[in-house]
Amino acid sequence: MRIAIAAVSGVLLAALASLGVVQLANADQDDPVIKPLYEYGGR
Amino acid sequence: MLGGLALGPGLAPGFLLSFDMVFVPSLDLSRMTFGLTGTVPRHVPSDAFAAVLSLVLPGDVVQKVVLLGIFVIATVAGASIVPSERLLPRLVAGVVYAWNPFVAERLLLGHWAFLLGYAALPWVVGAALRAGEPGGGWRLVRALVPAAIGGFAAIAISALVALPIALCAARRRQAVGKAVAALTVLSLPWLVTGWLRPSGMPGHTEGVAAFAARADTPFGTLGSLLSLGGVWNAGTVPAGYGVPLFAVLWLLVVVASIVAAVRFAPNRGLFVAAGVGFVLAALGAVAAPLLRGLIELWAGFAVLRDGQQYVAPLAVVVALGFGALVDRVVRTDRAGVALGVCALALPVVLLPGLAWGAAGKLRPVQYPDAWERARAIVAADPVPGDVLVLPWATYRSYPWNGGRTSLDALPRYLDRRGIVADAVIVDGASIPAEDPRSRGLDPIVRADGPLTGPLRAAGVRYVAIDAETGPENPVHARLAGAERVVASPDLVLYRLDDPAERTEPGPPLLPAALAWFVTVVAVIWAFWPFAAPGITLTTRPSRRGKAP
Repeated sequence: MRIAIAAVSGVLLAALASLGVVQLANADQDDPVIKPLYEYGGR
Repeated sequence: MLGGLALGPGLAPGFLLSFDMVFVPSLDLSRMTFGLTGTVPRHVPSDAFAAVLSLVLPGDVVQKVVLLGIFVIATVAGASIVPSERLLPRLVAGVVYAWNPFVAERLLLGHWAFLLGYAALPWVVGAALRAGEPGGGWRLVRALVPAAIGGFAAIAISALVALPIALCAARRRQAVGKAVAALTVLSLPWLVTGWLRPSGMPGHTEGVAAFAARADTPFGTLGSLLSLGGVWNAGTVPAGYGVPLFAVLWLLVVVASIVAAVRFAPNRGLFVAAGVGFVLAALGAVAAPLLRGLIELWAGFAVLRDGQQYVAPLAVVVALGFGALVDRVVRTDRAGVALGVCALALPVVLLPGLAWGAAGKLRPVQYPDAWERARAIVAADPVPGDVLVLPWATYRSYPWNGGRTSLDALPRYLDRRGIVADAVIVDGASIPAEDPRSRGLDPIVRADGPLTGPLRAAGVRYVAIDAETGPENPVHARLAGAERVVASPDLVLYRLDDPAERTEPGPPLLPAALAWFVTVVAVIWAFWPFAAPGITLTTRPSRRGKAP
């Protein structure tokens, strides 16, 4: 039972951490536009 | 459920336009759809599939059905490959196969047709293993149907998996023969039109550096490929991916899964496919001169430029190994089930950037009203002639699409042959155009002189400007004498009187029609219950797992 609780807690913590990472990453992306306007993409 | 989690708000009404992924309200069945113009038939037959679905469903619904279908097929097929009767290990394999950096990056790059083939790869593994048995060829055809819909790239990775497995299967000669036959028959629609294309197959070496795999984790290019990432385009890396802690944990999962696959679920043919695929994926990054030399030798080797797609068989190994590992390690008591549930959630937790519309990178949008007005005008016009699309570039960052990069959607949106500059620009470097019509008009468009006369002589009926439409754009002045029939900030459409009549050279109709006939009949026959008994979509290898 303790193992199960520990495992579930671990997943919840990891999920919260990952959501935080996404939030941080999104906050860094002020301008999602790839310049110039007609490029396929950048490496 | 995984598809819903990945697409999230992207499931709302509207179109998801991301890099190469373009769906339109109503895609018409035209010569372009079937690869009968001079363009390279990369969109054959996936565009035809979307167009047929568009006959009964709105275009945005078609897109959602296809994208959700990719996740459903990937999960079910991934689950089918684990040699266990227990549900949890199979589910774990399905989840890790549908939710990993490879799927995320290819989805954002808009390669939905390729992902159809990827999704069904585990079925191909099972079917190729038994290809030598009676009815094995038809079983393989059924497993290959998603790849057949996907077209060229999807069939390429399927062949990479099917052939080594058939070579290692029982009754090797029959298995290989049937695998080659199945792959060939399902490739006919694009193979014939590509082969008979008047201007041949393009083999530009400029794309080798542009499309080579790159590092998107701290482990370099090879480590990124091993982690199932490493796509060439930095703009398609999911948010948060590559953060050291998660990247290390994910790499551990991958390595442990590969070891577990070798130890608990050996499949020599699949391992060979994964190894060869990894080498091909790395080729452009670690041996670019060799790849350039190969392309100069034979243009067909250009398929290896976007090498990262060939790590797909490795994803099958990871799914197989992860499922087998959970099957061996996780017990059936309550703690074991909890541990298994954690394993089930692990891929999602380690790659949260794919969730909820890929963390904002996939958002549904509606096409501007001016596009619909232009479509109606062009469709109602009895005068033949092509549509030239300006600005003279392939990709756009439409403001109404949130500035996200996407392929110019107008050629698919309008019911006419569209001519765009299909030379693509990566990091400022240009990969030459492939469409002969585009190459022919390139000097006219790039010059500073009037456009109306030369375009009329070249058989152009309309000029559509779908970006930088303001009066400061010098192209307006170059179209003196043309009638402006749509004027909006989102689109300006000019009509040219009396365009010259011209016939565009393309692959001959009869062989192309024959190719379609053979492929469609083969697919129908493969699902015909009397002709091909024992229809099952899941082709799991012999079960030898623990009791439930």
